[in-house]
Amino acid sequence: MTLLKLRNRNPQVKLKNEPYLVINIVFAGVILLIMAYSGIFSPEKGNYPVVCIHEKITGEPCVSCGLSHSFSLIIRGRIDEAYQWNRYAMRVFLFFAGQFLLRIIFSLLYTRHPETRKQLIMFDIIGSSLIFLIAFMPFIAAIIKGL
Amino acid sequence: MEEVKNNSGQNLGIAALITAILTFVLAVIPCVGLIAIIPGIIAIVLASVGLSQASRDDAPHGVPLAGLIIGIVAIMISFSQIFVAGRIAHRADKWPEKIQNIVNDVQDNVVKGIEDANISIKVESNGDTVKIVTTADKKNKEQTLEDLEKGNSSAHDTLKVKK
Repeated sequence: MTLLKLRNRNPQVKLKNEPYLVINIVFAGVILLIMAYSGIFSPEKGNYPVVCIHEKITGEPCVSCGLSHSFSLIIRGRIDEAYQWNRYAMRVFLFFAGQFLLRIIFSLLYTRHPETRKQLIMFDIIGSSLIFLIAFMPFIAAIIKGL
Repeated sequence: MEEVKNNSGQNLGIAALITAILTFVLAVIPCVGLIAIIPGIIAIVLASVGLSQASRDDAPHGVPLAGLIIGIVAIMISFSQIFVAGRIAHRADKWPEKIQNIVNDVQDNVVKGIEDANISIKVESNGDTVKIVTTADKKNKEQTLEDLEKGNSSAHDTLKVKK
């Protein structure tokens, strides 16, 4: 009996044997942590524990400065102010929000349709890579420009 | 007969892959890009150990190999942030000189503007009016000074001396 047949007979998925699901759960957890970080720390107090190392070294603000502030403002619905702190924050926030939803959707599809797993993973890799490139393009461009 | 799956190195591979993905996300954000070196090294170490275990026990290499590749790419991006920061810091060394030049230019323009300025002061008190019309022109001032030394009164002087 092949492993696939065994799996079909017993559709209960063992998390330990499914790296894709583990990655999805961890990534979704990390995104939730980012959202919690943005929600806990207040843009009024500006008490963010993570400071820009780039700015500390060079004395100049970098392209991602104000990202935490912007995330906090986006979560609070103050989009205009968020744009003023960092104009690329919205696309990065949308990337994380989108990825959170995609992790849940892809995990459900992965467990419910075992016959399409390979296609699903390939689609996920290509799609997520493209979204990542679009969202982080200003940061990547800044790194390339600085080299 | 049931097929037995060898999971040797898979747990380490998963840990490496997760760490590598986190490192990658951190590495592309300039603010925290430099921090990503630490989880990057951890990801590479975990992936290497997982890969060696998988090779030894003839287990699948996919997950630890993916962790190793993503970890290496992420750490390369993170290292590139050092060069970017260094380049900006190098450029920043020249900024004080540039700022000094700009300040000097502004100062020169202001002084030049003042030198060419015409000044008119009018004071009225109890029906008496004193009007001083002068210019900050350097050449004109020198001429006025020479006239005063020679005892010539200024043609523009509106102050009437009461007799």
